Amino acid sequence: MRRFTTLLLGICLAATTAFGGGYQVSLHSMRNIGMGLIGTSLTYDASSFFYNPGAAAFVQDKFSISGGVSLLMARTTFQPKDVMGQYNIEKILNTPLYFYFAYKPFDDLSIGLAVNTPYGNKLSWGEEWQGRYLIQDLAFKAITVQPSFSYKIKDVVSFGAGLVLTFGNVELNKALPLDGQNGAEGKVNIKGSAYNVGFNGGILIRPIKGLNIGIDYRSKINMKVDEADATFTVPATMKTNFPDQKVATSLPLPANLDFGISYEFNEKFLIGINLCYVFWGAYDTLTFDFKTKTPALDKSYAPAMYENKLIPRIGAQYKINDIVTVRLGGYYDPSPVPDGFLNPQTPSMNQIGLTAGFSVFPTKGLSIDAAFLYVMGLEREGTYSPENFSGTYKTNVYVPGIGLTYNF
Amino acid sequence: MKKLVYILFSLVILAGCEPKIDELSPNQGSADFSRFVSVGNSLTAGFADGALYFSAQNNSFPNLLAQQFQLAGGGTFVQPVVNSEFGVEFPGSLPRLILGFSTSCAGTSMGPVPDIGPRDPVAPVGYLVNNLGIPGAKSFHLLAQGYAMLNPYYARFATSATNMVIQEIPPLNPTFFSLWIGNNDVLGYATSGGVGDTITGLPMFGSSMGVIVNSLVGVGTKGVIANIPDITSAPFFNTIPYNGLTLNDSLANLVNYAMGLFGLPFVYHAGPNPFLVADPTSPHPYFKVRQMQPGELVLLTAPQDSMKCYGMGLISSLTLTPWPLPNQFVLTQDEIDNINTAVAGYNQIIAGLAQTHGLALADMNTRMKNLEQGIIWDGIRMNTKFVTGGVFSLDGIHPNSRGYALITNYFIDAINAEYGSTVPHVDITKYPGVAFP
Repeated sequence: MRRFTTLLLGICLAATTAFGGGYQVSLHSMRNIGMGLIGTSLTYDASSFFYNPGAAAFVQDKFSISGGVSLLMARTTFQPKDVMGQYNIEKILNTPLYFYFAYKPFDDLSIGLAVNTPYGNKLSWGEEWQGRYLIQDLAFKAITVQPSFSYKIKDVVSFGAGLVLTFGNVELNKALPLDGQNGAEGKVNIKGSAYNVGFNGGILIRPIKGLNIGIDYRSKINMKVDEADATFTVPATMKTNFPDQKVATSLPLPANLDFGISYEFNEKFLIGINLCYVFWGAYDTLTFDFKTKTPALDKSYAPAMYENKLIPRIGAQYKINDIVTVRLGGYYDPSPVPDGFLNPQTPSMNQIGLTAGFSVFPTKGLSIDAAFLYVMGLEREGTYSPENFSGTYKTNVYVPGIGLTYNF
Repeated sequence: MKKLVYILFSLVILAGCEPKIDELSPNQGSADFSRFVSVGNSLTAGFADGALYFSAQNNSFPNLLAQQFQLAGGGTFVQPVVNSEFGVEFPGSLPRLILGFSTSCAGTSMGPVPDIGPRDPVAPVGYLVNNLGIPGAKSFHLLAQGYAMLNPYYARFATSATNMVIQEIPPLNPTFFSLWIGNNDVLGYATSGGVGDTITGLPMFGSSMGVIVNSLVGVGTKGVIANIPDITSAPFFNTIPYNGLTLNDSLANLVNYAMGLFGLPFVYHAGPNPFLVADPTSPHPYFKVRQMQPGELVLLTAPQDSMKCYGMGLISSLTLTPWPLPNQFVLTQDEIDNINTAVAGYNQIIAGLAQTHGLALADMNTRMKNLEQGIIWDGIRMNTKFVTGGVFSLDGIHPNSRGYALITNYFIDAINAEYGSTVPHVDITKYPGVAFP
């Protein structure tokens, strides 16, 4: 029902399962998805305002509109260490959407808006599973709205920037190892929302025709939830120890520094690489500070200890004719989670992504864009030592998606 | 277009597939779990909350162990089932404890209270059982003819009233066994404050254990033998602190004044103070008392109403004279030393037997020490604290179901290490801890 309401409100951005190394989601334009998620040096349409605001001024048309939806299906299997039986996360279809608009009042200046979901994590292990004292289900999503500009100096260099207005909300459930005489187990629900602002700035250089070099930096955004609601379901005699109350927490959305080069060998063929450095180190500890402290409830610390990671990406595009363009790409996304901190809240492993896509141009300027991303997680055995929870995780992600772009 | 549909269809199929991880493949190694027999005392029987009752018995460590063995070639495992959630009924037996409320002068508080309901009367179960755990049994009891006439728990499954317990073993023809006995050889002494029972001497323990192990190993039967934990770290001995007497300033002054009148050289302060304990060796002509010392232990069975409301452990509110805790509710340092010496001696004997016969040794003594420091398992924090520690049942001595599940995993670790088997652990999150109202 809530999703339906959200849909009605026209925000249209559902929660997304994280499939990057951590909780970053990189599904921001079908054209880019098809090319291994590269984008920092590309100048095709309004999506540049997200990938690199510096590149947007190089988009040739006066108007550019682009939107699309991915159908994200993540599958994770867990084999607990030394215990029979395996668990799978619930099969949820997530539909991250994107929408971009760019307008060039002058040839050198572009202004625009980027709306998408660069961060999110949604998964459910179920009520009864072995790791339920760590997590039962989690839904975290951040929607960013980014008004931006881009300015070009001659046809050689351009720069641009935008404010990243970020709206986040989170809800999680986990069981508490507290048994009631009625047979029910304790449970806590935490629900809250946050808002903060970051920025996105970048430069594009075109030293010679066909060669684009782009650099983009998206700042860290700290999603600080001052007053989340914590609701405890516990045996009656334990209620004074676990009163319903407000709790403060925060989750950093890490900064990204992206570097991209692409080269058009001829009118038909383009190849590009991206190096994306994600400042995951910002995610050190997840803290829950309960406002009403009791002997059982105090400030709780869940160490995350994420590490900065570099994601190399490569993609290519071939224009078969005026109507059809095809794309291929791939990337390697190393897990930011160090050994000893592998948590079922965000089952993280090194991943290989393979992408393919195509665009069909029924008329000039209008394209129907489709892409498919297959993410192969490399099986990882590990422990979350703060809770002594061990096992082997493996994730596969399948993301078909479709979008429309209109440049005129 | 047809091709596109085909591709999309393939994608949907693909997306339905879960990622494949190899499942565990349990293996028995050099052991043979096909006929498993478990010998021991209340810990083997599945005793919890002061009783042997259906659901806790169902979660006894041998029963859980047998379920795991069944994944690696193990056979059926039969227990002498108690058909009641309230325990077994015989003269002198007590009902199961649950958390409830009781009222004293100090107000209403939550604690263990008897859970009254129809109990299973003692009657022979009429079938052979694999779980030969007998609550109350000491090492040498397993060699006592006619023990069934003394112990109703044994009477429930004894194949003959005159049998020794070890005579139950050959008909079962075990291929694998667990043996955990000896706790009661010190526990009776400990739970009676060192006055109601005696500690089994080492020679007696050693020779009994020798006979028991010999009767189990037969011609090469393999098994696991567990040693004795430091029983005094159980909550039964650690819930009431030796200095649990909390006084305010004026009361401390008053008590100091009174002690002066009694000619007792004890000094009291605001805050926690040691209880008085009976001491026959006291030089005082009338008041044979002394203050408890750090390290000494008050038993969970100490009359807490009298202590909270009528001055036991200090000065009686009725007679206005010093009123010590009777020695049966206290383990003095000497008594604790006796227990520790005995446990250390037993464990040497047990380790020797394991070595001699090539048996797996489950080191419960070390596990208990770790538990005292606190452990975490699958997000559950556990320690040896009463009720909140999550492992011990409400009698303060026996584990609850979650505790028994932990013990099962400790046995499995020892077995896998000795026999190269890969018996999986139990998922301890499936077993309940203490249930709160």
